[in-house]
Formats: sequence, C-alpha cells, structure tokens
Amino acid sequence: MSPRRRALTGIGLYARSRGLPLALALLAGVCALVVAAAHRTDGAYAAPGWWASVVVLGPLSAAALIGASLYAPSDELDRTAVRPWWPRRLVHLLALSALACVPLALTGSGEGSASVTAALVRNLLGCVGVTAASAVLVGARLSWLPALCCVGAVHLASSEVRGWAVGVWGWPTRPGQEAGAWLAADVVFVLGAALHAARGPRPEGPRA
Amino acid sequence: MSTIRVSGLRVRHRRTVALDAVDLDLGPGVHGLLGPNGAGKTSLIRVLATVAQASAGRVEILGEDVGEPARRGAVRARLGYLPQEFGYYPGFTVREFVAYVAWLKDMTAADVPAAVELALHRVGLGDRADAKVKTLSGGMVRRLGIAQAIVNEPEILLLDEPTAGLDPEQRVEFRALLRELGVRATVLVSTHLVEDVAAACTEVTLLDAGRVAYRGTPASLSAVGEATGPDGIGDSGIERGYTAALRAHRTPVEPTR
Repeated sequence: MSPRRRALTGIGLYARSRGLPLALALLAGVCALVVAAAHRTDGAYAAPGWWASVVVLGPLSAAALIGASLYAPSDELDRTAVRPWWPRRLVHLLALSALACVPLALTGSGEGSASVTAALVRNLLGCVGVTAASAVLVGARLSWLPALCCVGAVHLASSEVRGWAVGVWGWPTRPGQEAGAWLAADVVFVLGAALHAARGPRPEGPRA
Repeated sequence: MSTIRVSGLRVRHRRTVALDAVDLDLGPGVHGLLGPNGAGKTSLIRVLATVAQASAGRVEILGEDVGEPARRGAVRARLGYLPQEFGYYPGFTVREFVAYVAWLKDMTAADVPAAVELALHRVGLGDRADAKVKTLSGGMVRRLGIAQAIVNEPEILLLDEPTAGLDPEQRVEFRALLRELGVRATVLVSTHLVEDVAAACTEVTLLDAGRVAYRGTPASLSAVGEATGPDGIGDSGIERGYTAALRAHRTPVEPTR
C-alpha cells in the first residue's frame, strides 16, 4: 500500500480528526506522572493532600484529555455520515479509558499500593463517566469543567461527613476497596458512556 | 420525476417557526433558493441534508422517507451537502479532508483516492491537494467545501451559500460546474446572489418568513419584475422580480366585502 493510500484510511483519518495521536501522547504523560506519584505514596497515605492529588487529580486529568478528544470541529458534516455514530463513539471512549486504565492498574508495589491502584482505576472510570456526560451537556471542549467542579465539590463536602451514604456519593475520595464507591463510579461510567454514545457531544459550531 | 418531495414541512427553533407549511417538489436540475435573511433557507437545506429534524410534515428524498432514522443512511450515501459554515480539521491536508468525508459517505476504500482527485480537480484545487487546510484562503476553503460535497457523485446536492467568498472568475467557473452537475443530479443552491440564480438555475424558489413566496423559472421571476414597470426596485430584471415577488407575498390580502 502506498503512503498516500495508507494516509487516506478511514479509521486513521477519524483518529487524526479527533486529535487522538496528541491525546494519546498526553494521556501517556499523565499516566506516567500518576504512576510515579503513586509510588511515592508507599507507606500508606503519609499526607492526606498528597493522596488526594494523586488519586483524584490524576484520573481527573486523564478523563479531561479523553473528554477533549471527543470534540469534532466539523460536526455538521459528521452528522451526514452514512453509518450510525454510536458504535464509533462507544469504541472511542472505551478504548481510551482502557488504555488509561492499564498503566494505572499496573501501578507500583508495596504497602497500601493495592488500595491506591484500585482508587486510581475507580476514579478514572467515574471521572470519564462524568466527562462523557458533560460533553453531551456542555460540549467536549468544556467537558473537563463540570467534572472538575463535581469532583472538587465532593472532595470538599465529604471530608467531614460520616455514614454509609458518603461511601457512595463521595466515591472520588474513598479508599480503593469500598464497594459502595466502586458501585457509584461504575454506574456513573456506564451512564456517561451510554449517554455519550447515544447523543454525542453537544455541537459547538455556529449551529449549536 | 421528483427526487425531493416535501409536504407540510414545519420546522421550529425553540419558539421561532423557521418553516411553515412548505410544499416542494424538485427533480434533476439546478434549483435556486432565494430569500431574505431569516427566511428559512438554511433550515430547509439542513432538513433535506438530514442533519435537522422537522417538527411536522413529510420529507421524501430519492423515494425514502427521511423522517424514519433507518432510511437516512441510504439517502446520505447519495447526498452531498455544503453547510453555510463547516469547521475543518486543522491538521488535515486538502486531500485528507475530502477523503474523510468520502469515508463518512461509506465509499469503498479503493474508490476514494480517485474520487478525491476528481473532486479537487473539478473545483480547481488539484494543485493544492497536499496543502494544509488551515493555509487556504477563504475562497479556497469554500471550494474545498464544494469538493467534499461532490466527492461521492451525489444524486442530491445541497449547497448553502456556496459562492460566498469566491471571486468573480471563480463564481463563473462555479456556475459552469453547477450546470454540469445539474444534468444528472438534483442541485439545490441557497444564495443571496440573484445573478447566480439567473445564470445557473433552471428553477427558482423564493422563501419569505418560512413560507414559499414564489416558485418558477428565473425567466418567469424576471417577467414578474418587468411587469412592475419603472417602479420596480433592482438593477436587473430578476432583482426587480425578486423584490416584487417578496412584496406581493407580504401584502395582506384585502378582505372581500
């Protein structure tokens, strides 16, 4: 296959239209930083602020990059596609989520690392769900903002709260083994991914 | 033979009625769509392009009811669309952008390179195929938009303000391309430039306030203008016809006593 023919492959053009090469490079950088930072938490959460910055902000940054990659500059033309978009949207979101999950799931060793790893993966899934839903509501380019506000508000609100309910709604801040937090994050991920697949990001062009 | 059939079409944008009770039958040829700003031209083109939904009425394209989602795919494969403004992917070259749209149209991968070259050649961008889209002038971007719209040799071609940004020579060339495409396809061109309609269109539809104000040929619209005599507004017959038809549509009918 000639270079010109290869350059015109549909999937390749789709990936470049969404800026996926850059998104993947940045995602790899974020994951590398998170993994490196997570290693420094060995010794079990020496400083609460450090734990939060790694386990909350790391997945949030990765989810923001995934959300930004959902942006389509030529949405009006994309809507004339012959094939339905929902499978492409779903594969796009799941593939990037899986790619980001792998390095986080393989995070470090040592005391407390299992909890940190579980929290990282859970928060990534939850944050991607919030970001995907936000892309439908406010557009892909701003999808990081509701996720940041949501996770930030939960982080502030859950710090002094006790009880079983906080283990569910405070999912971004809970230790990695809590079943309620996992259930909440998984539900958010499934709902966000389904909403994004069905509706697509909010158009941001002149016809929005 | 009608390739586009619209009956009782109504389109609402929140509280605004963009189109109301529009009936149209269009067949192969070049059809001009005229009207003032806000008349509903873009709304009509977007519904026909299957990117916007009708609030009421029926739209049939190439025998398929596009109100049914399952039928839209087959129509879209045979349809070309140039939006008024289309964002482009900044990293793409001219060739890649047109190839991307060919992929959206589900064209066979083996056919895409030749189809892209032909479309670019027809709009005079063959020598800029490897240039980045972001380096093109406004007129070239418009021609690129036309190239992506014709890459799949559409049977229905919908062009919203295609000549905006083109210089006079490019407009003349574009009119020739329209006439060529109109031999086998149904081409609907929304424009403010009545001289483009006079030069390239076989039929003209005038929209005003969401309704069809006039339908006929460019010659019959000119005749409407000539009938107004020296009081008509406009520098050419078709311009006078345009304003006369609009005024006639806006004049309330006197109740009979």
